[in-house]
Amino acid sequence: MKKFINILFAAALTLALTGCQNFLTRDNLTSLDDVTYWRSEQNVRLFVNGAYGNYFSGYSDNWGQVNAPGVYSAGEYSDDYTSSGVQRNILLSVPADNWYRAESTAYRGVWLARRAGSAWNFAYVRKWNLLMDRLETMKENNFLTDEEYKHWMGVARFLRGWEYSRLVLSFGDVPYFDKEVASDDIETQFKPRDPRSEVMNKCLEDFQYAIANVRENDGQNYINKYVVGTIASRCMLYEGTWYVYHKNDEAMKTSSNIEANAKKFLEAARDFSAVVVNSGKFAFDTDFRTLFGTLYKTPTSKEIILYREYNKSVNASAQHCIASYSGGNGGYESQITSGNLSTLKAWICNDGQPYSSTTVEGADSWRMQDMVKTRDPRFEASFVDEPVLSGPTGLYSEKFIDRIGVQYAYNGQTCPPCYASDTNENGYPCVRYAESVLNWIEAKAELAEHFGGAAVTQEDLDKSINAIRQRPLDETAIAKGVQKTAPLMLSAIPDDPARTGDPIKATLGYKTAGAVSPLLWEIRRERRMEFFLEQYRPQDIRRWGQLELMLIANNPDLGVGGWVELDLAATLTSEQAADLPGNRQAQTTNLKKTKANVGYNLLTKGNFDIVAVYPLEGTNADGTLKLGDAQFWSDKVGDVSVMRGFLRPQKIQDRDARNVDVRNYLEPICTDVMNQYAEKGFEIKQNPGW
Amino acid sequence: MKMTKLFAACAAAFLMLGTGYAYAATSSSEVVADQQQVRITGTVVDAQGAPVPGASVIIKGTSTGTMTDAKGVFSLSVRPGATLEVSCIGYATITVAAKDNVKIVLEDDAELLAETVVVGYGAQKKVNLTGAVTSVNVDKALEGRPIPDVARGLQGMAPGLNVRVGSTEVGSDAILRIRGQRGSIEGSSAPLILLDNVEIPSLNLVNPDDVESVSILKDAASASIYGAKAAFGVILITTKKGAKEADRVNITYSGNMAFQSMAKKYEMADVEALHYWVESAERVGSYNPVGAFWLIDRAGYNAAVAWKEKYGNGKLDPDSPMTYGRDWYVDGSGRKIGIRTYDPYYYNVRKSAPAMTHNISVAGNKGRTDYNISLGYLDQKGMMKNTDYDFYRRYNANVRINTQINNWLAVHAGMMMTHSTKSWALSTTSTTADQWYYLFRWAANYPLVAKDENGNDLRTMAYETSIAHQAKTKTLYQSVNVGTTITPLKNWNINIDYTYANNNTQTFKPGFTIYGANTWSAAKPLLKDGSTYTVANEWNEYNGLGSQITAYGLPVELYQPSSYNLINQDSGTSQRQTWNITSSYDLKVGENQFNFLLGSNIVGYDYTYVFAQKKDLMDINNPQFALATGTETVSGNNTWSSTAGFFGRVNYNYKERYLLEANLRYDGSSKFPTALKWRWFPSFSAGWRVTEEPWMLGVKDVLSSMKLRASWGMIGDQTVASSLYIPLMGSQTTYWMHSNVKDSAYATPGLVASDITWQDIITTDFGLDFSLFNQVNVSFDWYNRDTKNMIVPMEGMGYNVGATAPKGNYGNLRTRGWELEISYGKTFSNGLSLSATATLADAKTVITKYGNNAQSIDGWYNGKVDGEIWGYRVDRLFQNDDFAYDADGNLIKLADKYGAYYQYAAGKDYATQGKIASGSLISGPGDVKFVDVNGDGLISDGERLIGVYDKDNTDNEELWGKSRHGDLEVIGNTTPRYEYGFRVDMDYKGFDFSVFFQGVGKREMLGSSWTSIPGYSSGDGGMAATFANDFWYETKDASGKVIAFNYDAFYPKAANCGRSLIFNMVPSDRYLLNMAYLRVKNITLGYTIPQKITRKINMQKARVYVSLENFFTFDHLRGLPIDPEEITGYSSFNDSNYNSSFAGIAAPAYKSASFGVQVTF
Repeated sequence: MKKFINILFAAALTLALTGCQNFLTRDNLTSLDDVTYWRSEQNVRLFVNGAYGNYFSGYSDNWGQVNAPGVYSAGEYSDDYTSSGVQRNILLSVPADNWYRAESTAYRGVWLARRAGSAWNFAYVRKWNLLMDRLETMKENNFLTDEEYKHWMGVARFLRGWEYSRLVLSFGDVPYFDKEVASDDIETQFKPRDPRSEVMNKCLEDFQYAIANVRENDGQNYINKYVVGTIASRCMLYEGTWYVYHKNDEAMKTSSNIEANAKKFLEAARDFSAVVVNSGKFAFDTDFRTLFGTLYKTPTSKEIILYREYNKSVNASAQHCIASYSGGNGGYESQITSGNLSTLKAWICNDGQPYSSTTVEGADSWRMQDMVKTRDPRFEASFVDEPVLSGPTGLYSEKFIDRIGVQYAYNGQTCPPCYASDTNENGYPCVRYAESVLNWIEAKAELAEHFGGAAVTQEDLDKSINAIRQRPLDETAIAKGVQKTAPLMLSAIPDDPARTGDPIKATLGYKTAGAVSPLLWEIRRERRMEFFLEQYRPQDIRRWGQLELMLIANNPDLGVGGWVELDLAATLTSEQAADLPGNRQAQTTNLKKTKANVGYNLLTKGNFDIVAVYPLEGTNADGTLKLGDAQFWSDKVGDVSVMRGFLRPQKIQDRDARNVDVRNYLEPICTDVMNQYAEKGFEIKQNPGW
Repeated sequence: MKMTKLFAACAAAFLMLGTGYAYAATSSSEVVADQQQVRITGTVVDAQGAPVPGASVIIKGTSTGTMTDAKGVFSLSVRPGATLEVSCIGYATITVAAKDNVKIVLEDDAELLAETVVVGYGAQKKVNLTGAVTSVNVDKALEGRPIPDVARGLQGMAPGLNVRVGSTEVGSDAILRIRGQRGSIEGSSAPLILLDNVEIPSLNLVNPDDVESVSILKDAASASIYGAKAAFGVILITTKKGAKEADRVNITYSGNMAFQSMAKKYEMADVEALHYWVESAERVGSYNPVGAFWLIDRAGYNAAVAWKEKYGNGKLDPDSPMTYGRDWYVDGSGRKIGIRTYDPYYYNVRKSAPAMTHNISVAGNKGRTDYNISLGYLDQKGMMKNTDYDFYRRYNANVRINTQINNWLAVHAGMMMTHSTKSWALSTTSTTADQWYYLFRWAANYPLVAKDENGNDLRTMAYETSIAHQAKTKTLYQSVNVGTTITPLKNWNINIDYTYANNNTQTFKPGFTIYGANTWSAAKPLLKDGSTYTVANEWNEYNGLGSQITAYGLPVELYQPSSYNLINQDSGTSQRQTWNITSSYDLKVGENQFNFLLGSNIVGYDYTYVFAQKKDLMDINNPQFALATGTETVSGNNTWSSTAGFFGRVNYNYKERYLLEANLRYDGSSKFPTALKWRWFPSFSAGWRVTEEPWMLGVKDVLSSMKLRASWGMIGDQTVASSLYIPLMGSQTTYWMHSNVKDSAYATPGLVASDITWQDIITTDFGLDFSLFNQVNVSFDWYNRDTKNMIVPMEGMGYNVGATAPKGNYGNLRTRGWELEISYGKTFSNGLSLSATATLADAKTVITKYGNNAQSIDGWYNGKVDGEIWGYRVDRLFQNDDFAYDADGNLIKLADKYGAYYQYAAGKDYATQGKIASGSLISGPGDVKFVDVNGDGLISDGERLIGVYDKDNTDNEELWGKSRHGDLEVIGNTTPRYEYGFRVDMDYKGFDFSVFFQGVGKREMLGSSWTSIPGYSSGDGGMAATFANDFWYETKDASGKVIAFNYDAFYPKAANCGRSLIFNMVPSDRYLLNMAYLRVKNITLGYTIPQKITRKINMQKARVYVSLENFFTFDHLRGLPIDPEEITGYSSFNDSNYNSSFAGIAAPAYKSASFGVQVTF
């Protein structure tokens, strides 16, 4: 018995004391951590993969709106976007919170950040600084070859440079961190803002390292030398032109050597894009709609430098909703914003001339059915060829869908999921050659005009703008009679009266209208047509200092929609019409009808009072349009023949005049951040005017 | 009753050594024995003649004595003429003259019996308890009630144990909390549930019929012996063991048949809701039809009223097919206007859902061995109509065997199996919008009937449910336990127990397709021989479409989203191995009694999970992996953790008067870095039985007993993720693809605090127990529980770091509360026995340290009361005379920088509500008039920050002293407060009757749904009848004369909130849901057939009863279809965002009426 007890005790003691520490060691084996992760090039690739959605957002994902084309969200802000009701305001007061601090790309609702800028979010700065640190360690431990190290260091520096360019785009001066900041390093966390010129010089260094070291080919749609070249030229062009058109801004007082920096950045923009332009690898060999509407895979196109694919059978999250807002979804889903008269006027005719001086036959008709034949082919590719009242201006963009999906809007068949709801699967050319050549030609032109650079030659134009104009047409366009636009000839640059002729803009000090040369005017126009509804126009308005254009009061064309002929388009039922004054029996339309019959059903009792058009009253001496006063349907039911003209978007109201204050070129720093600095006894300066 | 008693006896003999005046005394008495002593033997039996083992037999006036053995036999040397005092827990103590071969009969003592309490690794006399322990009366809580699980039985039975039946699904787990709802922010706040000293994952696994005892260990002093996982209390359950009577076999059967129906009247609005929506549209100037898929406008509403008059209230068979021209029409713009109204409950909820339970147990004893074998079966149907797949079914099997090998070694073994199936009709794979969502979502004019007039099936909730395949979750829990009890010395016990438990959960989800008329689609003209035709338009008078209209129908089509066309199955298996080794020793020195306990408790846990899915079924009606051709998806996971603890306990008892207990536990957890794994946790408790003092003898007639208790203890909490100190590289969801392949991606590692360690739970408890006239027992506890070193985010890190602050032990939290239990029991001379018990408890949790930077009322901050709700105060509804009018009689609209508002009438200088306005919704007559709490003339939520402005947070001196949260105040709290229970039991001549009430005194909820917010969303249209019947409106005729109004309404003028809490429905005290309730949980009437009859058929006992469960509900919800116990977003399908956290959007709660029998052979 005693012996038994002794054995028992011994056993218990052994159990208790040995192995207990082992028993409690339950290492984490199912996930990797910062210590175990950095072992192979493949892991570095996976680390970078997570950021593609943030930088190359394409059509974003699911119902997401970040940097997606602006056909369905209320957050749009450019002179190509008009909504009904009150026009979208940008930030009017300093917001309280800091929005997103994490590695997320959620929509912020503020125009600058949404259109390629950034919130006050340093998560990606930390991500790339951390990656650079780990790459050093990997190289020391021989986990990477020299070539691998240089490529990935190049990728990390490229993305850091881009990230800081985005922060600068939003805020101007920002604190620059070149390594990861420790959670208890208070001094560094609360350092003051560095001047934007200093930050952008750091970015330039990053880009220079990247273009020298990033691989020419790292696999399809992975970051490569030409992606770096195009994006770096975008960031540098932005910064360089900013210094040209904003050098007198209060916010620029912190930067020095503005002229020298402007030249340096514009030269960098020219040289980075030249790497792409001169590579001989890229060309305009694909029609416009194929670029935006191809389903499931990357189209074989020499124009595409980096493409975002969607295919939910491969990745259930790889889907979006653009196509359903582009005429898919079995009907014309309402576009919250759409093009306006300013857009229509900007588009050149296919003889290369603005509408006011064109000689193309029929170019004076503003019916969409006619315009698609007389304008640059991208017009037909961007718009439905008839008025669609699901767009607040009567214009409806179908740029981001193929030719098939849009048919479901009126053929009555059930729409397949790839065009409906948020289950769309067409891909997007996130980085494309058109941008490279347009950045290149603009940088060259700016250098020539302001910094004594070499003059732009006809050969330069042929490599850039004229190359784009040679882009092939698809069968549908050809069948409609669409024709390629004539090349831009240095010897015969159009002189658009809109460039100098608008006295309202001139008295407002509108910086560009009278100031830029006819060549720059045409380069800028080419960007506007090429990138309609994409993320570039809001940025361009900013860097060129054209915010004044964003008030209807200054730029009345913003408040005017496309051409409609309401006397034909009304489809009231007899019963509804019986209720209208004058007992006007509506007529059926000669246009295509959407399946649900909603496209033209404008004149219900509810909105009877607010439907109006601006009649066309002829042209001014310089060939520009002259519009009459708004004609309301409710006043005209006895004589509906006058209800032809440019649609007045319903209940349209101008945006707040504070939108065009010079302070709006930069975003304010939110009070959260300001307060956090103050609480810790540090100071951070707010942007001027806020 | 019998089982309890036998167990107590067993416990006294083998476990409970606090009263150990037994073996040691015998041997010493033999040393001093003189010639005058004679040796006698005797037997102690109970009233039924069964031997009583473990009874103590003491020579009166001495400390000499012994205990009876397993057969109830004792032997003792006594002086002639001595008197024996025989006592045993559960029996009344008696004295008898000492003589050889004496047979001593002990009578039951029900009161004493109830006073034995199972505590950590042992049992204790209730009178000697020093910690806060509540023993649940298992007979009353669990027996003969139509409840599926133990948790529902415990609700309201133990003060301080909060049981929330937050989900109305059958087979769902209740949420259990001991002393408050929250123990920490990061960790779990759930109590440890122990079944025979081994942790089990859910009370749903336990057959209520197998339960022998339930103890709730509430304070640190009583729970700390269980260490690492017991920080928030312990629910200690023991199961039934074998019969104690020698050579006896008891066979018991109990069965219950119940019928469930909706627990209270649920009503969604009918045609009144259409009225509301038309009003809400017209107030913002829109005359377009409103709704989704099925629309309504003023003309349609008028037609719907006429429809109701002509066909409503049963004049038309509710199952009559939906008919075009009668029930709906297409307006001139091609839109579907629905005018027939449907009652969703009629079409979708079972009137009566059956449930039954059967239990058989065999408890026996043969020689040295006793055993218990039990089988249980539960089958409970859910409330969903039109399907056979909505049910919960459970089988339980339980075996316990114990054998005494010799006088120092006993071995025991047990096995338990629980197999349950939760089944449902898989008509949607979404848990954020399941079928119940559609019971409440749509307006009343959305068709719910089975077919249209052409015989097509209509795609509705009812139809989809009826054709859906069966999805099910099967749970198989098995445990095996082997153990031994060694008694090396007479007062020294060693227990060694090993338990292996395996819990396997499998979920199976087969897809399906729907073919029918798509009620969501646009209507299209019907064709007859290729051309359209017309039908009668019954409502031409209202819609003006002509008396004959083109016939329309809904497109009949196949609906098969890709997320349906698949089969998937997942399987999770957890294994838990538990070692419990304890050694206890009793020592008595004079009047000083000691008990020493040493032990260790080692638990290893491992969980694996596998998921498989295959798309594209070849035969949609036979979903099989082998018969699918599409994409295969597989994933898996594995987690594991372990804890080890070593503990010691000393009990000291002086003269049964002064009681002390001290515990010390050394705990290790795998969840923290190596250097921080191990911690010491002490606890102490003391009790003073005042009435045992000699000077209290005089009051004993009145104050039968009184005890003061106090305890203090610290327990470590480690219920947090294992990886808090590891900078994980989480794999990232990626939306990107490369070369038509999904990207894999890894995220940036987060910031971690490498020194993260245990959260310390420190409880101080003061208790008072007393008894008056031996009839009224009162127990009261007050406690303070601090969570120190609570894991919260580090304070003050700058946003510029680019990461969220690391979590560490930087915070504190405090819960304070009290518990009261009063019971009364008396048997009257006429045979009527009456007992009553009332319990009441409260707890409040406050954040005491969270860092000074946290200021937002929407997050955590210092001083925040857990669960608090911020909102406005409501004065009343505005009326017409509150406003000024222009010459045309229109309201005068003004605007300032905050928004638009209407000018008040002269002399009415109310605060402006411009900031409350939302789009076209501007506060006018019939809208809510909020209270300007801070008196600044503006109704505003300020900056939504806590506190007031002062020189530290603003330079604007004008603001100093003013609220930073505008007019917002704390208007309620989601935490249940003042939880109470009350039950009365009566017994008279074989009849027994009991009533049990349970309730919560205070709880609020901020609802966000069609059932909790009037005008929640016109785009969906659903609305509780309460709102539609009592909202502010004013109807004028063409001349502007008011012809109908409801100025005294409780709910404001119609307005569409668009699924947000805006405008009139910003959170406010008036429209906060008051979730306090009183429920008659159970009423039982039983009859036990007299033994003289049952004996004739060899039956020991036979009882029949009827029982009503959850039958009457009293709440403050104004008739809203919300169960007052519901927890938003909580269900067995999704415990955090079920049905998108829409309040009240779940299966209707049920009540049940049942009949049962209990027989023992």
